[in-house]
Amino acid sequence: MSKKIGPLDVFNILPKTNCGKCGEDTCFAFAAKVADRKLDLEQCTPLYEEAQYEKNRGKLEVLLRPAVREIRLRSKDDEVRIGGKTVVYRHEFRYSNPTAIAISVSDTMPEDFMLSKVKKASEWEYRYIGMDLSLDLIAIRSTSNDPTKFRECVEKVSDVTHMPLVLCSFSPEVVEHGLKALKGQSPLIYAANQENWKEMSKLAKNYECPIVVSAPNDLDQLRFLTDSLMKEGIENIVLDPGTMPDEGLRDTLNNFTMLRRSAISLKDDLSGFPLLGTPISTWCEEDEEPEIKAWKESYISSMLISRYADILIINSIEMWSILPIVIWRTNIYTDPVKPVTVEPGLRTFGKPDENSPVLYTTNFALTFYTVQEDVKDLDCYMLVVDTEGISVESAVAGGKLTADKVNDTIKETGIEDMVTHRKIVSPGLAARISGETEMVSGWDVLVGPKDSGGVKNFLDKKFYQET
Amino acid sequence: MSFKDIPVDVGVIYEGERIRWRETYVEMGGPRIEDKFELVLSRDIDEIEDGKIEVIGPDIKDVEAGTSLPYGLYIEVAGKDVEKDLEGVIERRLHDYCNFIQGLMHINQRYDIHLRLSQASVRKGLDSFKLIGKVIMRLYKTDMPLIEKIQITFITDLEEVKKRRAEAIEVYDARDARARGMKDSEADVFYGCSLCQSFAPSHVCTITPQRYANCGAISWFDGRAAARIDPKGPIFAVEKGECLDDWRGEYSGVNEMSKEKTLGEVDRVWLYTAFGYPHTSCGCFEAIAFYIPEVDGLGVVDRDFKGKTVNGLSFSTLADTTAGGTQVDGFHGLSIEYMRSPKLLQVDGGWNRIVWLPKKVKERVEEFIPDELKNKIPTEEAVANLDELKQYLEDAQHPVVDRWKAALEEAPEEVEAIEEAPGGSPFAPVSSISTTVGGYKFTLENVRIHADRVRIKKVEK
Amino acid sequence: MKNNKKKMNPFDASLFNMLKNMKEIEIEDVDFRIDRLDFTLPTLVVNPQIPRQVAPIGKPLEELTYEFVPPVNTYRGEVTEVVLGATKSEGGSRSRAITVGGSKTPPFYSVEGEKPNPPVVVGDVFDMKINLPKPVRSHFGEVLEDPAEWARIYVEKFDVDMIDIELISTDPLLNDTPISESAKVVEDVLQAVDVPIIIGGSGSPEKDGDLLSKMAEVAEGERVLLSSATPDLYEPIAVAAKEHDHAVLSWTSLDINQQKELNRHLLEYIPREKIIIDPTSAALGYGIEYAFTIMERMRLSALWADQEVQMPMAAATSNSWAAREAWRKDPELGPRMLRGPLWETTSALTFLLAGVDIFISLHPAAIRTVKEVAGWLMDQEAEKIPKNWVNLEAV
Repeated sequence: MSKKIGPLDVFNILPKTNCGKCGEDTCFAFAAKVADRKLDLEQCTPLYEEAQYEKNRGKLEVLLRPAVREIRLRSKDDEVRIGGKTVVYRHEFRYSNPTAIAISVSDTMPEDFMLSKVKKASEWEYRYIGMDLSLDLIAIRSTSNDPTKFRECVEKVSDVTHMPLVLCSFSPEVVEHGLKALKGQSPLIYAANQENWKEMSKLAKNYECPIVVSAPNDLDQLRFLTDSLMKEGIENIVLDPGTMPDEGLRDTLNNFTMLRRSAISLKDDLSGFPLLGTPISTWCEEDEEPEIKAWKESYISSMLISRYADILIINSIEMWSILPIVIWRTNIYTDPVKPVTVEPGLRTFGKPDENSPVLYTTNFALTFYTVQEDVKDLDCYMLVVDTEGISVESAVAGGKLTADKVNDTIKETGIEDMVTHRKIVSPGLAARISGETEMVSGWDVLVGPKDSGGVKNFLDKKFYQET
Repeated sequence: MSFKDIPVDVGVIYEGERIRWRETYVEMGGPRIEDKFELVLSRDIDEIEDGKIEVIGPDIKDVEAGTSLPYGLYIEVAGKDVEKDLEGVIERRLHDYCNFIQGLMHINQRYDIHLRLSQASVRKGLDSFKLIGKVIMRLYKTDMPLIEKIQITFITDLEEVKKRRAEAIEVYDARDARARGMKDSEADVFYGCSLCQSFAPSHVCTITPQRYANCGAISWFDGRAAARIDPKGPIFAVEKGECLDDWRGEYSGVNEMSKEKTLGEVDRVWLYTAFGYPHTSCGCFEAIAFYIPEVDGLGVVDRDFKGKTVNGLSFSTLADTTAGGTQVDGFHGLSIEYMRSPKLLQVDGGWNRIVWLPKKVKERVEEFIPDELKNKIPTEEAVANLDELKQYLEDAQHPVVDRWKAALEEAPEEVEAIEEAPGGSPFAPVSSISTTVGGYKFTLENVRIHADRVRIKKVEK
Repeated sequence: MKNNKKKMNPFDASLFNMLKNMKEIEIEDVDFRIDRLDFTLPTLVVNPQIPRQVAPIGKPLEELTYEFVPPVNTYRGEVTEVVLGATKSEGGSRSRAITVGGSKTPPFYSVEGEKPNPPVVVGDVFDMKINLPKPVRSHFGEVLEDPAEWARIYVEKFDVDMIDIELISTDPLLNDTPISESAKVVEDVLQAVDVPIIIGGSGSPEKDGDLLSKMAEVAEGERVLLSSATPDLYEPIAVAAKEHDHAVLSWTSLDINQQKELNRHLLEYIPREKIIIDPTSAALGYGIEYAFTIMERMRLSALWADQEVQMPMAAATSNSWAAREAWRKDPELGPRMLRGPLWETTSALTFLLAGVDIFISLHPAAIRTVKEVAGWLMDQEAEKIPKNWVNLEAV
């Protein structure tokens, strides 16, 4: 892996005027965030608006261009970005742009059924660790092959959703009709292949839309198509190496891996584009129950997310099959260096009263969930102390879990009004701060077990007895 | 390891116990008493008797409740692998061991110690220092198998405490002098620590006598002790190998170790610089030295500093770039103790290049800042932004001002592929000359070119 | 200029200072070290048909086509193979011995190499009735109180490769079952099934040492996997493994350094061929990404010749049921009879792609899917039929 781009590399090519238009105090601050891929280069408006900086902008764009290019899809309201990857493994650097999920409808579906599916996809939501998870795109397939019918369908879908669209047909005429209905937007065109790429390229250029090149299980042909389009001046390309279920999974996963590694490790330009997976292909199987097809579609989606897919087209929007995909996507795209946290504050388990035990723990998600499992059947109060997501042991060692912090949490949650006693159970690994916590808070600290599995037993022996 | 013969409980859960005065049976040392100390000395194997515990002066049962005693804890250890350099590390454990005893509280170290024994524990039967001694011995022998013999003397007789305290202070001073005086060139090995690899796969710290670990918790002596005590643990000895560059601090052994531990990510380390091939950081560094291009100097900020530093970036923002085990020019994790080292960032200019640091940090390292620079390095109290910083540095004639002059005189023009690099490392910005004409693009990595002769000629415009 | 051996950056400001007053300078004996050097040689004849290709080193330019060149690495290390179970001739009573591990390349990247041994799926049984989610319970009915019968169903009906008998009732905080009773349970299981087995303790640091030592004795000859050694308790288990020729599951909590340290300790007693790593397989939605990344990193390290992690990996996909999304009855989340098993399956396949070799599982659908998918991924003759999903009607 080559050396990571540092703030200085970026700073040296910026205007260095500290004008502040980007929202940061100094160019250096901006450079640090850009190098860490927390801000877009475009926020430096002088770079894009002033002629004197044209060369600088060019250099920076090349410097910062990720090995896998970033492609943007736009509707009238929203923008979805895909690609933009700089590494193969997430432990090298956090992945950007979570895999976009496109829900498929077709232009021969009964209209109300189709529109209700589109609405369901657009409004789909799941609350998870303080985040609202959602889906991203609608893929409209032309099964009618009728340009007018397709256009009508596209118009109707575009009216009821804020999401950017993927227009799926191998007929340039059909696609063009769809594009006409989306003036000002930037849908993804699926797709250019060996037969139609010349006309499809024209569409991509004229309508300034990103386009998929598709060569099922043929990486050589995929290269040819990509290069042909690039020679036409098209830069916003997405690669479809083909998603084949069952026995085809072997080649599918291999193709995705080869392309991604080629882009990153070999710095191969022609591989350096986002990858499209189409788990919807499990629905092509004639003799299977819909549950089986949805089951396969779901696990193939998750596997492709693990294997570098930047965008997926799927069919089933049933909660049971789509939730695992969305959760895994959220998980794999977290920053591996930043711990996952839960909300600090008060939690209640069972039906506690003014005599019930009070325990505390940290807001590191894993710690919290583990402890939660062990106390959820008890009647008690739990204070979650904000240690910035660090576990008990590390937080004590690193000064993030302190007597003061515990005391602050006690005061902020108002627990003193909810119980008449003043005994709090601390995690065993926080023994070191127990004395100080007592002094600062005025509560008695009972140092509990190291492992929360022993909490119930501990409470039986030490808390209930002595109260 | 059991403590069934001890009348009170012993365990980690008692670590944070505080004993209030009204619960105290006897206090040893503390603010009311001047004469107190704790000392661990290494002896030859035949010089001491294993397991011997002596009390010179009144024992616990000999005094009344509410007494404060002068107190000396004199521990002698011996073993094949025990050496003088490990005394401090071994001594530090006393704080934990004493605290593990139910009803016994221990604060501070060396000649500042303060202990209290609770009435409850004495009632349970903990009425002799000998019992405390037993616990301490057992804990040492279990945790540190390199201690083969241990002998403990508790001293509560005032004269004896005074006498041995004087001896102790000499020992502490000698230790500190040795620790600070020891040079990297004198060390037989360095120590590597991979404790943080869980968070940063391509990070491993190299700990030398003159470069403390980034987390601030491990000195070279600590590393030595740890590697001896737990050879299978995360701290290990690193062969220095050949000294490739004494000034920059490059050692072939360190390069090899780094390459291996980081799976090839980091294969070259310059120990005393923040540029080029700097020592990496995981995420638990105490402070960051960060480059301020506007003044061509380095700022330092520590973890405890809240708010924005002089260039508008906070510690946490700077930490994002510094962490993760990568070699990034100008973002350098370090420990406060390294700031006390004569080798501090010497390649970059050391204190001559440091232009800003928080007041609290400055106070902690003030002693080690060269006198003539003390007033030239502002803190957050003196300057609030880059303009004020520039002005301050100029007014104070900070050495970094000379660098500004040199840069101005040289006036490099549209230098295309070659750009001036702060701190002296060449930049080769990635430039892909896109040709619409057609041609062949060559990409060479990790290039070594040898030229018998290089001629640089000025080209007139 | 004098022949100066000083290491100097030729692009240093001081050099330009010197140039200010001179027209030309010459330096001898110069070494450049450059991370990356790009340059382009434009051609004189402009021919837009020439493919824009980077010439691979050594290949004549005339041979340029659109051939995709797969990236291929070579590796210096490999994962050891561990054998579990022993047949009659080998001193045991299993119908076959199973070999796990042995990977020489990253998981399922065929162009670099094939996985030598198929992954192993294990049926997870307990020595007391526990609160299992309905989707799992529904497959086993009454046998949940009889570990031997439970094991038999896993093997005969659901085709698992191994059984993991978890003696959780021995936990002093649960039933504190005496060790002698557990011996009987293990014997019963060994009688009921003829696949290799894993023997699990309760996780109690006070009791597991004695428990697993005794079980090692009881199962002598069968080459079982003793589950588990942890940083808090490993010595008696390692000793028992050595004495009775078993393997040890080396279990740590999502911490690579802790894992390596534990392995170092174990290696003082037993060879690498007797150790399997369990880094803790956190549930989907509740920490799975930590497990995934640690597994990926360990596998890469192993291939880079880090001997401390060159062991096969195991994952308990049964952990995935800890996620409330897996077991909770909630109409808004869809039918849990599908949702739960899919939760476990998704976890399992995620770990499969990270290089895990052994899957300790609960739900039959997960078991079947893992075996099926692994089979497809390893089948070099597999058919590859692209599907035309664009034209799918009625969907």
